[in-house]
Amino acid sequence: MADWRKFLRDRWRYVDAALALAVIVGSIVYIYDLLVGSRGLDVAYITRNYTLYLHAVFTNVYATTIAFVVGMGIGFSVGWLRTARAVSLAKFAASMRVEKRERQENLSGSEGARRLLVVLSLLWYGAKYLVRRVGDGFVEIIRGTPLYVQILFASSFFIVFLPQYASEGILIGIIALAINTGGYQAEIFRAGLQTVHSGQIEAARAIGFSRLKAMRYVILPQALRLIIPPLTNEYIGLFKASTFLFVLGVQTEISYIAQHQGFAGDVFEIFAIVTAIFLAITVTLSFIVQALERRFRIPGLGIERVKLARGVRIARVGG
Amino acid sequence: MIRVEDIQKHFGALHVLRGITFDVKKGEAIVIIGPSGSGKSTLLRCINLLVEPDSGKVFIDGVHVNRHGIRHEWVRQQVGMVFQSFNLFTHLTAIENVTLGLTRVKGMPHDEAVEKARKLLARVGLAAKENAYPAELSGGQQQRVAIARALAMDPKAMLFDEPTSALDPEYIREVLDVMTALAREGMTMIVVTHEMGFASSVASRILFMDAGMIIEEGTAEDIFQNPKEERTRSFVGKILR
Repeated sequence: MADWRKFLRDRWRYVDAALALAVIVGSIVYIYDLLVGSRGLDVAYITRNYTLYLHAVFTNVYATTIAFVVGMGIGFSVGWLRTARAVSLAKFAASMRVEKRERQENLSGSEGARRLLVVLSLLWYGAKYLVRRVGDGFVEIIRGTPLYVQILFASSFFIVFLPQYASEGILIGIIALAINTGGYQAEIFRAGLQTVHSGQIEAARAIGFSRLKAMRYVILPQALRLIIPPLTNEYIGLFKASTFLFVLGVQTEISYIAQHQGFAGDVFEIFAIVTAIFLAITVTLSFIVQALERRFRIPGLGIERVKLARGVRIARVGG
Repeated sequence: MIRVEDIQKHFGALHVLRGITFDVKKGEAIVIIGPSGSGKSTLLRCINLLVEPDSGKVFIDGVHVNRHGIRHEWVRQQVGMVFQSFNLFTHLTAIENVTLGLTRVKGMPHDEAVEKARKLLARVGLAAKENAYPAELSGGQQQRVAIARALAMDPKAMLFDEPTSALDPEYIREVLDVMTALAREGMTMIVVTHEMGFASSVASRILFMDAGMIIEEGTAEDIFQNPKEERTRSFVGKILR
């Protein structure tokens, strides 16, 4: 009697995992039955055709990866720009008035040098203001318009201004995706950079780091660890979005669906293959990232050690 | 060693420092006390130019440092700074915190830097903790690593900005001991603190600041037992109690 209880207690985790698996498989089977139960899935079709789709997935993977890496560059630059403190015009005008008053009160320094200083600082603050606002606008435009429209826009841009490249669907697609993910990653990077405590920067500056070196050796290593989860999210999102490239004539899974007798014949089989391929890739990726995160985890930074669920407490009545 | 002449600093409409002038000789330990908001931290930050003074001059070892043509990065290597909230680099171990500045700012070879860092960690009593991350150390241990990190750059003077006020009471002693040892070895120090025991036993002079000005200056005995100014008297009365 006590034996199976001990057995259960020791292997509770496996029972738990088995149960979870049963629920997932059960629900999939249920959905399957709901959709194609009466008809049955044509397994022969799947085994015959899945290599075709695998081939298309490689196109997706490399288009996504190139776009993502380029997007990281855009995202970091724009995100960093957006952390720059832009002085509001009112404040700037106020400081100019103070400057003028002080100039009138004590006539130290030559008038010409003072004037030059005012012009230079105006230019500097103006440039900062402009750059900051351009960054804001970029992010809002990317975030606020559909990716589908952006891809079509990129394509028509090429058709009008660079017709010699207009047939390079994959190139246009990668550029469109890179710009799109750049906008989203800008927000991710900004969040990461701003989360690093200002004391860290101060400490780095206090031992003689320049602004750039403090970014490289102190802020970025911390920010990057913090933004791994949202970046993974963004990669997966981009990977799925890359199926849109079929509108540019790039061979993706969707285009096969459209070409292969499409919605008339083996539609369920086609969707089953595409779903399985996508799930296999995204789930594998998120497991790898989770493992990496745990492997490179630093105490006090980013994710904590995975917490166990709290034990269920059952109130005892009457002690 | 450090000379400050008529420093003024505004933060917007706030006039934080209203003409501060003082002198620190080599090997002196100066303690600055004063109510919060009196500009003590800003004054320290003006000395290593983390905050740039609006006007006035700062001299370090005879060099006028807040003028054009002097790199701030160079100035900050001349004076070490220790912060109230430690500010250890979260993503680095204790020893990496100490070596980062040596290898990346001074360009010292890695092995040499590690050797030096080990010596410094031993000096602050943390030789055994070199591979611990800041989150795994107590507040007192973190602050001692921060002191070692500042010392690693071979500063000519050290600035301490309320080094013990974020610590639990049981850790204050160990940090003060390290600082006392440092002062006895002849390090020039400027310390903002309200630790009266430390001030009495270590400080060569005490400055009392209020509302951005130095109100009174003297030995621990002068300030604590017979303060001349009314404001000093009332402040000292509050913290000694």
